[in-house]
Amino acid sequence: MRSDRKVNRLLGYGKVFREGDGLTKISFFIMGLSNLCRGQIVKGLLYLILEISFIAYFIKFGFTNLIGLVTLGTQEQSKVFNKVTGIFDFTQGDNSMFMLLAGVTTLFVIAFFAIVWHASINSALITQKLKKMGKNIPGIGDDIMSLFDSNIHKLLLFIPIVGLILFTIVPLVYMILMAFTNYNQSHQPPGHLFTWVGLENFRIMLMSKDTIAHTFWPVLGWTMIWAVFSTFTCYFMGMFLAMLINMKGIRFKGIWRTVFVMTMAVPAFVSLLVLRVVLAPQGALNVLLQELGFISNSLPFFTDVMWARVTVIAVNLWVGLPSSMLITTGILMNIPSELYESAKIDGAGPVKSFMKITWPYMFFVTTPYLITTFIFNINNFNAIYFLTGGGPATLEYFKGAGKTDLLVTWLYSLTVNSWDYCYAATIGIMIFAISATLSLIVYRRSGAYRNEEGFQ
Amino acid sequence: MKGHVAQLNPKYMPYIPIFGVFLVICLFLPYIFIQNEGISKSGINLVMDTLHLMRSEGANSKVYLVISLLVVPAVLSLVFSLSTIFIKRKQIVHLSCIAFVICVISAIVLLLISKKTLDASEILSVKFLIKYLSIGYWMFMIVSLLGLITSMKAAKINPGYIVLTSMSALWLLPLAWVLMISFRAEIGSFTSYFWPKEFTLDNYKVLLTDTSQFYFAKWYANTLLVATCSCIITTIIVLSTAYTLSRIRFKGRRAFMNLALVLGMFPPFMSMIAVYYILKGLGFTQSLVALILVYSGGAALGYYIVKGFFDTIPKALDEAAYIDGANKWHVFTRITIPLSKPVIIFTILISFISPWGDFIFARVIMGDNYDNYTVALGLFTMLDRANIAAWYTKFAAGAVLISIPIAILFICFQKYYVEGLSGSVKG
Repeated sequence: MRSDRKVNRLLGYGKVFREGDGLTKISFFIMGLSNLCRGQIVKGLLYLILEISFIAYFIKFGFTNLIGLVTLGTQEQSKVFNKVTGIFDFTQGDNSMFMLLAGVTTLFVIAFFAIVWHASINSALITQKLKKMGKNIPGIGDDIMSLFDSNIHKLLLFIPIVGLILFTIVPLVYMILMAFTNYNQSHQPPGHLFTWVGLENFRIMLMSKDTIAHTFWPVLGWTMIWAVFSTFTCYFMGMFLAMLINMKGIRFKGIWRTVFVMTMAVPAFVSLLVLRVVLAPQGALNVLLQELGFISNSLPFFTDVMWARVTVIAVNLWVGLPSSMLITTGILMNIPSELYESAKIDGAGPVKSFMKITWPYMFFVTTPYLITTFIFNINNFNAIYFLTGGGPATLEYFKGAGKTDLLVTWLYSLTVNSWDYCYAATIGIMIFAISATLSLIVYRRSGAYRNEEGFQ
Repeated sequence: MKGHVAQLNPKYMPYIPIFGVFLVICLFLPYIFIQNEGISKSGINLVMDTLHLMRSEGANSKVYLVISLLVVPAVLSLVFSLSTIFIKRKQIVHLSCIAFVICVISAIVLLLISKKTLDASEILSVKFLIKYLSIGYWMFMIVSLLGLITSMKAAKINPGYIVLTSMSALWLLPLAWVLMISFRAEIGSFTSYFWPKEFTLDNYKVLLTDTSQFYFAKWYANTLLVATCSCIITTIIVLSTAYTLSRIRFKGRRAFMNLALVLGMFPPFMSMIAVYYILKGLGFTQSLVALILVYSGGAALGYYIVKGFFDTIPKALDEAAYIDGANKWHVFTRITIPLSKPVIIFTILISFISPWGDFIFARVIMGDNYDNYTVALGLFTMLDRANIAAWYTKFAAGAVLISIPIAILFICFQKYYVEGLSGSVKG
């Protein structure tokens, strides 16, 4: 099916070529000609200007950028001893990083131009057909008006898509490509060049005997364990709390909820930083416990591996409970109370009515939420970084990865501390692979995706 | 008729006196037990020792506490619980509830002050540690809890209140602590004692007026500016995208939605460095404009919740408007948006609050340009090794200052937040 569509598109160009008269055929090469000659002056001029500027850009920059993309620099910065001045002169070498960036930008410019060219061909054929049928050819004023009506998607989506491309897609492509280079600590431009290494980084990280492989798999394992525990502790405790507040005999429900919402209203990073200070070896909690006579030595909240791991999960529970409670409350209130009453009449105790009424409904409705939270926790940088910074550090791990590091915090430290961008990018791609698999399972399964039309 | 009072649950009534009696028995069980030294003192022993001390050395007020905290609540509970046998009235059961509550509270307080009072009064020959507390104490605690639950159930009060109160206290504790620290007079990060010796407003003053190193007020203004601008831009982008995707079946719609899905799965920091270099190339680094652009640039990906809401607005409304001669733009601005107040408020709320809490992007883009910091970044910097000694309490003050407006915003708009979230969950 897909290949059929592709063939159709190619046939489409061929078809347009054949169907088009002379002017349209020439418009394949000189954009905007058809529009100009048939009365759409502004539009035609726009197309023409775009084509000329693209050709100019390509000649001046585009060609060299593309070559640079492939080679990523051939001339390293070198020093030549200058006999006259008695010091080393540095000759400017190629900067691999700028070449990669420029190359990626050029690729996008080419893609953009391809789209514009496609639009101009269509527009050429349309004007030809309109003229043949004797219909009115829309001028530029009509085109602008249509932007507010039949073509409103072009107007409304313009800025979002530009923002998306500039700030999300181009950087992402750039980083993905970086995973296939060797841009690490020993290959820093402008002093050194880096170059393409293909799948080498993946091989090193996944399968080799290097330290980095010995780091990747344990960190991945801890990330998964962390995601499971953090998601499900918050979920079940939130549900428990929501059900508790929702019980019949409890008054001032709003006030209880507000108390917990207040902890959510305080920005997460503030609470996390506060807790980091509180739980430090000489922090408030340890001091308090010693003062009260509970312990004689400080508890190693962050310095012992098992303690640190349990502590981050517990702190995350503290941070995440209110939002989980809010969501479950909303859902709980949707369960009709008649179900509970009839169950009571039939003699069901609280446990049974939970298992048969509350839980199935809750689980069904919150499955997408659960998986979204799970993926969020896989990437939950704040919860780990602000508390432990990824520590406790260990020599078993590669360059500064610690025992509570998630893949994302390790990515951050690789980027900011040791400038091993290629490894960071590789990890990023792995995270994407995991998240993508999980998300696809959710969205395929969830009714919302399938029944989107049902609402209308 | 016995036990037949409408507001009491007769099933639990007989158990109340049992717990009351048990409680008094606990006073005779060993309260402190130190194996190595062979010391075993029961509650009554301690009371005797205290009275002894009082007589020999004159009154020592702290030591009175031991007596009152041990004996008085237990006796109270005994009295009220026993009287439930004879007087089957709601008020008596309520009184025994209160008595048991006092028992639980005194057990907790005992836990907290034992070390201080026992060490000070030297009744024991060694320094006190919590692990020396023995069966007498723990049974006291457990029995008073059970008694409380039973009397609550008898009075038809939901014992869930106990759990709620303890959880609320636990959750509010860190916040209360930060508040307390922000008023502490002694600077320096780690002290050897818990309760501050002096309280002062100095931290707030310094934070707001001393601009030599950290210009807090400017950070506040910076973050306000960034939050407002990115909020406006993000809302516009999200609304436009959501409306287009919801209402218009244009070519490439499915492709866009799939693309948004895929893009959302990449970890945000992957593009962090790349964005930094792009901005550097454009000359925007270390500026707040860069931050605004970064926050709102990818906003189109977050259309899902708003689109879900738009989907629930009946298309019949749109069509009626078309018949009346409106074009799609009119429908968007005059029909769809006014109807979507909850979800718009939700979007505004989320996009306004998130820049206040973001740290990563601000760190990467701002580097060491202290003046252009946002509050999040500034507060974090206050806690790094170089600054923590001098700025610890100011950090607490700053944390309080930043939390209050956001908390107020949140509480006011809590309803919309919940609606937005459950809307997304229901799909």
